[in-house]
Amino acid sequence: MMSNESANPFAGDQSSAQRRETTVRWLLRLSTFLIVAVTVSIVAHIFIKGAPITFRKEFPFVNVKFLTELPGTLHVIFDKQGNAIETDVNGADGIKKQLGDNFREEKTISYSGGGILGPIVGTALLVVVSVTIALFLGVCSAIYLSEYASKGKRVEMIRLAILNLAGVPSVVFGLFGLGAFVLTAPVLTDTPHERSLLVIPLLFTKLSFQGWDTCVLSGGFTLAFVILPVIITASEQCLQAVPQGFRETSMALGATRWQTIWRAVLPFATPGILTSSILGIARAAGETAPIMFTAALAFKDKLPWQKDMPPLPADAGMFAHWEQSVQRFLGIFTESVQALPYHIYTLAARIPHNEYSERAQYGSVFVFLVLVASLAATSIWMRRRLRGKYKW
Amino acid sequence: MVDTPAPIERPPLRDLILRKGKRTIVGADPQGLIRGFFAANSSVTIIVLALIMIFLLKEGAGFLGTYKHELEIYRRAGLEFCDIVDRPLSEQQELSSKLRRAVTTSVDPIIQGVRARRDAAFLLKREVEEQTKLAREPLAAALEKEPAPAATELDPLRQQVAAATQQAAAKMNVPDVFTADEAKRLRDEFAKLTPEVSDLPPMLMELSAAFTVKDKEAKQKFGPLVDASDELEEAPEELRGVLDELKEEVLATKEAATTHFTLEEGRQKLLKAASKAKDPQEKEDLIKEADASKTDEPNYEESIKPVLERREELIGKVVAYAAAADAAAVNLPKEGGTAEATQLLTEVRAALPLHAKALRDGVESLRTWKQDKPVSIFTVIGAFFFGTSWLTNSSWQDFFGFVPLLVGSVVIALIAIVIATPLSVAAAIYTNQFASDREKEIIKPVIEFIQAIPSVVLGFIGISLVGDLIKEISEVPWLGWLPGFPIQERLNMFNAGCLLALMAVPTMFSLAEDALNNVPQAYIDASDALGATKLQTVFRVIVPAGLSGIAAAILLGLGRVIGETMVVLLVAGNRIAIPDFSGGPGVIFQPAHTLTGIIAQELGEVSRGSAHWQALFMVGIVLFVISLAVNGCARAVVRRFELPKA
Repeated sequence: MMSNESANPFAGDQSSAQRRETTVRWLLRLSTFLIVAVTVSIVAHIFIKGAPITFRKEFPFVNVKFLTELPGTLHVIFDKQGNAIETDVNGADGIKKQLGDNFREEKTISYSGGGILGPIVGTALLVVVSVTIALFLGVCSAIYLSEYASKGKRVEMIRLAILNLAGVPSVVFGLFGLGAFVLTAPVLTDTPHERSLLVIPLLFTKLSFQGWDTCVLSGGFTLAFVILPVIITASEQCLQAVPQGFRETSMALGATRWQTIWRAVLPFATPGILTSSILGIARAAGETAPIMFTAALAFKDKLPWQKDMPPLPADAGMFAHWEQSVQRFLGIFTESVQALPYHIYTLAARIPHNEYSERAQYGSVFVFLVLVASLAATSIWMRRRLRGKYKW
Repeated sequence: MVDTPAPIERPPLRDLILRKGKRTIVGADPQGLIRGFFAANSSVTIIVLALIMIFLLKEGAGFLGTYKHELEIYRRAGLEFCDIVDRPLSEQQELSSKLRRAVTTSVDPIIQGVRARRDAAFLLKREVEEQTKLAREPLAAALEKEPAPAATELDPLRQQVAAATQQAAAKMNVPDVFTADEAKRLRDEFAKLTPEVSDLPPMLMELSAAFTVKDKEAKQKFGPLVDASDELEEAPEELRGVLDELKEEVLATKEAATTHFTLEEGRQKLLKAASKAKDPQEKEDLIKEADASKTDEPNYEESIKPVLERREELIGKVVAYAAAADAAAVNLPKEGGTAEATQLLTEVRAALPLHAKALRDGVESLRTWKQDKPVSIFTVIGAFFFGTSWLTNSSWQDFFGFVPLLVGSVVIALIAIVIATPLSVAAAIYTNQFASDREKEIIKPVIEFIQAIPSVVLGFIGISLVGDLIKEISEVPWLGWLPGFPIQERLNMFNAGCLLALMAVPTMFSLAEDALNNVPQAYIDASDALGATKLQTVFRVIVPAGLSGIAAAILLGLGRVIGETMVVLLVAGNRIAIPDFSGGPGVIFQPAHTLTGIIAQELGEVSRGSAHWQALFMVGIVLFVISLAVNGCARAVVRRFELPKA
């Protein structure tokens, strides 16, 4: 073997230069995989601590209570044998009565009881509103930048604005949302609020710049602008990726600009746009600072659509029922909600730590991470697949 | 004659092909309209940027005026006058506590033994009581009952307690500070513990007495040090007394002024409503109500007089105290009982003359202080941008000084960048130049995935995992030489910096990798042709050529880190004070507050339009400007060092 080695002209000579080369290469590899290892261990930690709270060993294998109940205060009642009984605010008195003399102590832990349905629903609503707005604005902007605009000052400015908008800190977006949507945005109302900035009388009603208050709409708009740069950039890339030949062919056949875009460009770009926008969804779901002052509540004991409505008279017609349903639907967007990231913040920073709050924390973080991560993973995976599928 | 048929009327061919009359919508070309629609949409980003600035300014611009007004009251009511003495005097507490610590650390080696025995015994007693809690509670409850229950009722309870206590005492894990005999005695005595007897068992009494004796002995040994500590503690008593009286008086003036301005604001609102009211009766009512709430602004000149009358008395006390502080510095013993104590003593001895000097310097300001000196707008700007204290909800005076927050943000950002830059640049070089395809399949998605981890989750990890990890590592004995170890606070700037570094990695990695990708192939080929090794090509050709892109990546990473909110809010420890840099690099293990964190934490709790609210928006404006500047710098760097297109 030894003799064979020297016969190979490309074999290493173990010179100091080569050793240095190997060392540096290993150093680089080490720091790369340090990043990978840290990420994997963080995710693993959350999975190990959070999965037992979300999943169950027996059928139906998930903790249904945790996923389908609203958050509430957890009451833990200790009896004189040292047993701990967990219950909610309604069950506490019953158990205390039942224990009678055996009752020893009661602990209450805010926000840690029940489940996390409220925050999940709130986050979903915020994401739907923000992604709808951001996709519309973002795709239209991208179409202009990619299909219509020629090089010039205007396009320069737009690109600069996109770059800068991407760099604005999220808490500044929160301040902007508070100033713009919560306190100033226009509403149609008959009775303008005292603090209204400007009231424009219209025919039947008044347009008052008094803001929307903290609600899904305010938060959704704020989040939309947070993710707008991501969506514009991604959409433009997808539009650019459609070969120029498609456009030229379409134009040569006499189609107008718009027909070309609608029939020859968009159909091929849409899958890509949607895929990349999933990353925008993940971002919107994950942001906390922009919704802190614009939409999120620490605690709410109702789902957004469970708003109290005056009961309809028994003989109410179809129209009245219909009207109330519409009102109920619109009411979803004008209510403030709980949101998962804000719920996690509340659990982590606002209440004292103990074993019960830790359970709620890890459970919420786990569910949240699984939701966001599966979105991101879908996006990354689909992008890879699309790249393979469309090869021009 | 044959009639030739008239030629059929048909439009010219040209018109057929190129239809002249295009369809229009209200006189506009539909293609133009569509184009206009998209163009309008694309301007949204510009509009949003402008709106962000407008709304930040709208809420924040009033800050300078409001704060100026507050500072005017601060001066005119005389709070500033008291602060001339109060500020330097507050150092005294710190010095005093240092001396106390010197005393404790000096005395400690002497009393350590007896104290450990006493504490261990008390701890054991508590453990026994804790373990027998379930048995003790019913007995204690029964004993408190009125009228006292019969002995037959109590006896079973007593027996239960005795049994449980005996068991617990037998199981007791007696530490080896006690001899075997002592341990036996402790067990015997603790086995008799019951809630009915509140006296300590004799052994505990003995241990406590031994401690007291030893403590006295130790204090005597370090007599001069103990005396010096006591003296310094008592030295400013008289000065404090006078100052507190003065403070009370000026605070009353300030409160009167604040009430006046609040009422005045309400009155103006009422008057405005009155001028709009249509119903004369309503108008009259409103005006009447407004008149009822009319108050006079307090007469500052009059109310400051009693304070200024005592000016000389105050100065006398200041001078006396300063002299006492100087004397204390001289009388301070040179040596403490331990190295740490000596170190503390040296520090205090160096600090005392400066402390005295600061107070003496204040005397001149006390003499020349005038309440009617106008507060210029530059003072206000200086007080915000260079103010060193951010103090809110204070009963004395709110200060909105921006420096502590900025320092916190900058230090955390630097830590994050220092950690993230080598890692992500190395990762970019490795992935771009060395990694096999299979490795790339792992590295790239994982790093992309970091971007998707929500910041609040990372913040939570900082609280629940990283904090404890860092603290445990810092308590490892052989790492004690590292600056700042062992650390005091679980949540600190280093912890936040580590997590922010992880957040910055994806941005920096992907931008740096792009930069390396953009290096023209010709450069690499040329280097190879000259016989360079792979490593030489990478570090002498590719990296220098991509340096501008890497620099831009670092800058953008910095922008991301400075603007991050949730991680710093949860992890940085939220102490609003300029970190103490005197300890060297160990400063990174101190808690701090940040620009972003303060907004997120305080904005929810302040009333709209108050100076505090406006101050938070001012912080937002600064953040916005920083982010624009960082972006601008990154672009400038890229443009300045752009490679010629190959």
